[in-house]
Amino acid sequence: MNRLHPLSAAAYALQYGFLWLSVASILTLLLGGIFDAIESAWVSLAAPVGLVAGAAYGIAYYYRFEYGITPDTFDVASGVLARRSREIPYERIQNVDVRQGVFQRLLGLAVVSIETAGGGSTEAALNFVSESEATRLQHQIRTRTAEVKDRRRGRGRPDASAADERSPATDEASSDAETERTSAATDPDEPAPDDDGPTAEPDSTDGTTTSDSDPVSDGRDRVAGPDSRGPRREQLFALEARELLLYSFTSFRPAAAAALLGLFFFATDLAIDLLVSAARPFGGPANLGEGSPTSYGILTVVSVVNGVVTAYVLSVVYTFAAYYDFRLGRAGGDFVYERGLLQRYSGSIPVEKVQSVTVTANPLQRLIGYAGLWVETAGYGPESDSGGSQSAVPLADQGRVHRFTETLTGVESPRFRSPPTTALRRYLARYAIVAALVVAAAFAVAQFTPLERWYLAAVVFVAVPPAAYLKYVNLGYYVGEGHLVVRRGFWKRKTTVIPYYRIQTVSTRRTVFQRRLGLASLVVDTASSRSFFWTSPTIYDVDLKDARDVHGTGRKRLQTALRERARADDSGLTIDFT
Amino acid sequence: MESLHPRVRLLWIAQEALAAIALGVGLAAVDRWLVDVPTVALGVVVALGFVLGVAYAVRRYGVWRFEIESDALYLERGVVTFVETAVPFVRVQHVDTQFGPVERVFGLSSVVVYTAGSRNADVRIPGLTPERAERIQDTLRQLATESDATDAV
Repeated sequence: MNRLHPLSAAAYALQYGFLWLSVASILTLLLGGIFDAIESAWVSLAAPVGLVAGAAYGIAYYYRFEYGITPDTFDVASGVLARRSREIPYERIQNVDVRQGVFQRLLGLAVVSIETAGGGSTEAALNFVSESEATRLQHQIRTRTAEVKDRRRGRGRPDASAADERSPATDEASSDAETERTSAATDPDEPAPDDDGPTAEPDSTDGTTTSDSDPVSDGRDRVAGPDSRGPRREQLFALEARELLLYSFTSFRPAAAAALLGLFFFATDLAIDLLVSAARPFGGPANLGEGSPTSYGILTVVSVVNGVVTAYVLSVVYTFAAYYDFRLGRAGGDFVYERGLLQRYSGSIPVEKVQSVTVTANPLQRLIGYAGLWVETAGYGPESDSGGSQSAVPLADQGRVHRFTETLTGVESPRFRSPPTTALRRYLARYAIVAALVVAAAFAVAQFTPLERWYLAAVVFVAVPPAAYLKYVNLGYYVGEGHLVVRRGFWKRKTTVIPYYRIQTVSTRRTVFQRRLGLASLVVDTASSRSFFWTSPTIYDVDLKDARDVHGTGRKRLQTALRERARADDSGLTIDFT
Repeated sequence: MESLHPRVRLLWIAQEALAAIALGVGLAAVDRWLVDVPTVALGVVVALGFVLGVAYAVRRYGVWRFEIESDALYLERGVVTFVETAVPFVRVQHVDTQFGPVERVFGLSSVVVYTAGSRNADVRIPGLTPERAERIQDTLRQLATESDATDAV
């Protein structure tokens, strides 16, 4: 069994020392207020005692925390008084993440977290180990996992005949072969120019019947670049400066707005002063409390603009810092990624733990022809942006991302089917109700404030048809040979590729309104983490008959795909997807 | 397709009645501390709530169906939103039988099927006699282990 880095003893001592110091002080003051026998002046005695006891506890915690790598499991034993020992089988590990904050980087330390499926928190967190130990752990866990997998494969493979059954129908030539070719032409900014695998790739989709996975897998066994940390590590994708800037400027993080609000509550007076002085040149009130209705109006407008701009700048800065120097590589059967300017993240995701793959793009990114690629696992990382999703390619040219997706999953180019136009009627009605509510709210406000002409709010009705239309045109689904592809959303359009063998449950849902129109929504659930922003892939508002068809197809193909996989023992994903 | 035990209607009606009473208590509290609520209106709201609740419970029973098919557990349910769910046996992580205090009064119990999914991670079949629930649990467990291909994730 190993111990953590000796510096973590100091960190724990400090942490527990100050925790116990404050607890002891507060308790003394509190009890001193209640009981006469206890003097509040004892704080000067209780505080150092708390500090020393806490520091001792921290050091004891360090000495009682042990982890180790055994042939089958990763073991962690911890606890000073109540002991807990945990064994995590390698094959259950979803991902291994390494995080380094600014100070930790200066001291050469790292935090390693190991995630398994299920459970609300990280299964094992090592605070802190040295950088080299973190790399060693990541590497060891990866190799052990591969060994376990090989052993299992060796047991269950009497007939390895049906391998590579799922070679995708490449002759169903992609509808956007045109875009593929153009993107191939603009490919000199490929991250690995010495490698002809990816650039040769689009040609195979142009009608020749070469299999999708073959040209990639050979010519790839080269030694890793100079930047790699592990011994066998190849780079798949690196975010270039241009892509990083585009990604920073085109993504909007709600967290930035939340952070701004937090700041506002933290320093309200200062913020209000700043806002007032910012609005003054535009005709805002000279001081808060002495102004006309017009100047207050100007103050409001200027403040809103200020808030939006500041939130946007925060979001740009955050994205830039978080995704600075993003690189994705492979090491054996795992994806490994690292990113971050100040705080450095790195992690590994076993490719066979990937549940589904999603291409995202917001309107701005679609306008400039870019998109991002995310992979979902069932592991839960508290510090990952959106539950179990990890960015594989934060942003790249749309054509490239589509090609990556097709190579990674082996899905053919989807020809999306749209929901029937009755769905459009539904959205018109829905948004009209929303607009009516807005007008009603304006009316209600007008009753209690001097606001006049509340009926001008009816202008929101103008937005109803475009909103309904945009919602409608972004919906689409495709029932492929081995995958289900679901596209939805205007503000953040998500195109999710779900291999049939990853389906957990399928549900056809019909609300009263949908039943009236003969529509249904199909929820295809996979084992990804529950999260607020990342809902289960849903095919919205298709004809009931189609929904039932897809429901049945999904169920049937899940069974056949599982049988085939049991025979071929194929993860279904091509790791060299770039 | 199998229906639930008819007695589950009584259970649900009892639950709805409790909800209607809670609504009445809430309205009485509003009457006491906030604004005057006429006693007649209070009575009407509670009665209406109860009637709607009974209708909902009866309809819910009428709609609920489930079946153990060759590859999956199939369920149909929902009054406002009608949902048809298929839970493939390969995906079953574990199966519980549960019965709460109210269910016990009516001599009923539920089977809960857990999957690794995110949205329908637990699927509950309510309103079963304890024997039936146990039989379903056994069947599902057998089918789940038979069809076990990998680790169900």
